[in-house]
Amino acid sequence: MLWVAVHLPLLSLESFAATLPAASADQPIALMDAHHIVSANASALQLGVKPGLKRATALALAPHLTLAQADARRDEEALRAVAHTALAFTPIVTIQPANDTIGAEQAAPDIVLLEVQGSLRYFGGHERQLQGLLQRLQRALVPLGHRLHMANAPTALGAALLARVHRRFDGSDLALTQRALDAAPVWLLGPGRTHWEALQGMGLRTLSDLRGLPRSGVARRFGAALLDELDRAYGAVPDPRISIALPPAFESRLELFARADTADQVLHGAGLLLDRLIAWLAAQHAFVRRFTLVMLHEPRRSRDKPAPSETTLELALAEPSRDRAHLLVLLRERLANLPLPAPTLELRLHAADIARRAPPNAELFPTPRSEREGLVRLIERLQARLGHERVQCLAAVDDHRPELATAVRCADAQSIGRAHAAASAVAADALTEKTPAADYESAEPAPGVKVRPVWLLSEGQPLDERDSWPLLEGQPLQLLSGPERIESGWWDMRLVERDYFIAQLPDGALVWIYRTRQLVSNPRPGWFLQGRFG
Amino acid sequence: MLDAQLPGGGWPRRALSELLLRQPGIGEIRLLSPCLTSIQRSGRLVMLFDPPAALSAWALAQLGFDVEQLLIINTRTRALPSGDSLWALEQALKSGHVGAVLAWLPPRLRAERLRRLQLAAHTHDGPAFVLREMTAAERPTAAPLRLALKPAGADALGVRLLKRRGPPLETPLRLALPPVLSNSAREQARAGLERGAPALQGATFINLAGLL
Repeated sequence: MLWVAVHLPLLSLESFAATLPAASADQPIALMDAHHIVSANASALQLGVKPGLKRATALALAPHLTLAQADARRDEEALRAVAHTALAFTPIVTIQPANDTIGAEQAAPDIVLLEVQGSLRYFGGHERQLQGLLQRLQRALVPLGHRLHMANAPTALGAALLARVHRRFDGSDLALTQRALDAAPVWLLGPGRTHWEALQGMGLRTLSDLRGLPRSGVARRFGAALLDELDRAYGAVPDPRISIALPPAFESRLELFARADTADQVLHGAGLLLDRLIAWLAAQHAFVRRFTLVMLHEPRRSRDKPAPSETTLELALAEPSRDRAHLLVLLRERLANLPLPAPTLELRLHAADIARRAPPNAELFPTPRSEREGLVRLIERLQARLGHERVQCLAAVDDHRPELATAVRCADAQSIGRAHAAASAVAADALTEKTPAADYESAEPAPGVKVRPVWLLSEGQPLDERDSWPLLEGQPLQLLSGPERIESGWWDMRLVERDYFIAQLPDGALVWIYRTRQLVSNPRPGWFLQGRFG
Repeated sequence: MLDAQLPGGGWPRRALSELLLRQPGIGEIRLLSPCLTSIQRSGRLVMLFDPPAALSAWALAQLGFDVEQLLIINTRTRALPSGDSLWALEQALKSGHVGAVLAWLPPRLRAERLRRLQLAAHTHDGPAFVLREMTAAERPTAAPLRLALKPAGADALGVRLLKRRGPPLETPLRLALPPVLSNSAREQARAGLERGAPALQGATFINLAGLL
């Protein structure tokens, strides 16, 4: 059994700092309970604000101090994200309950315990297994932005206690751990805190002093709980732990300290929620397909119409992903186009639709697979910014009428990507693209194939006539080929009866014009321009 | 014939190629179709940005394109492409996964935006064609290759190389395009051009003998 304890000494401060806008990361921040300062960040400590001061004193020392109260639910959400990140490394992760009874309320738990004996070889590598695993764990926790103190020991409680004392402790065998515990102060133990004065009066400062006393006397005087904790820490009594369960759907909320007026501020808060989502996904080795960001706004009283109190933004991905940069870019593009009715006070992120598949292959040279993924991401980005209807695909429709023979529809990122993955290998890397040498001097279009122009006008442009000869922009047209009679469309009330010709402008360009037949049904007989041969 | 005049023997990759035309529909798609269709056949994506008019799927299929695999970005509002199209073009060039790009740029484009596109084109492994109006010929460009296109008879295109790497080319080229007309119709067209204004006298319909 090898337990690793990750202690977050500044959890409350950091979870509060996450609700502030990005610009004020270095400003002095302090947390207080009812009357006194409880903790302060580095810039506040520099100004002289210390735990224990009264509110007025602290504000006198640092006029720009931001004060707030610790919120247990906010801390718990932040700790849960850390626990989910740890779940990617081992299935046995548990949160050490805090049993400090300082004042009247429970302090928030701030230690995550991992049992890593089974994961050493896989995550740590062949040599330096534990160091490798701890380095990977630290790297994975960097995006969450917490200060970490880590300790490892054969017993769970021992690791937890030592993580509170040392910044980094390596207790690879039981004897080393016990010696370190001997030197630890006695108020670390939960029951020890309540009996601190009594223990101090008796001259018991470290755990070794406590261990030296007769057990029955300690149990009678301070309670069996103290003895039990001591035994569990030293490994004399087994300490079974139940691992936390991963919630089936992801839900997290972030209450912003200052109301967010711009999309950038909303994006900064959403970035933190995305980090938590990615930690949850990484714990189950899955990728998200769809998630929803809900923004709760400031309630406004308007006599004309009530402003909506929340805006929902749903983001669906063509290809499941857990890449933070990509999700943030998509969110940024969607937020840029979304008008927010009022300043945002709270953000919530829900995700339930996930997919498990092999992770994307990170390679040096592009393969058809990675190229397809890159294409899908590009198309997603374009669709997010421009809107789905502007990214289009063509399809040929079986209709004789030229203006209806082409269907334009919104592109589907998946279908574009898939066809390219099936193609053969990428062409050889050359500096230039060779155009195949074809001789068109005396070539002809294949007989029987109807020739069509590349550029079409959806409605024929009427042409001027001179002596019933067509003119385009004042220039006479020379008819070269035709007539091609198209008579179709009686079934949907758009009957066309036209004779199409290929005509030439005086400068040599070819156009496609038609003449409507003189029938009763035609409202406007005459010459029309349908397209140009591009 | 054009390959011989282009530096490197073909359309340049990783750089913009600027084509100037007075009006769309003189044969520019037919000029580029061999290059673009071969890129499509090798399995890479061809993207079109802001085509000036509606495209005909049949015509593209006749030229050899795989119509379903063309991606078209259309940001035109009332016949002018919007600023978003330049952003989209830059993203497509920078991604490096697109095979070829054919873009119609807005008129009166600022030089620095074109330079940004040229820088983005360095990461793009394939040709990037930008089509602009002929009046842009007066101003310098950041693209290393610049061609002016104008029609030169039926099924033929006159190409002047305004700018290229290497010595400039003085005489314009006349290139034959993938044909639209039959041989006899082309003869008639040539005769008509030499004559000048086509005959306004005579019959209102043409001789049925010279038809497809």
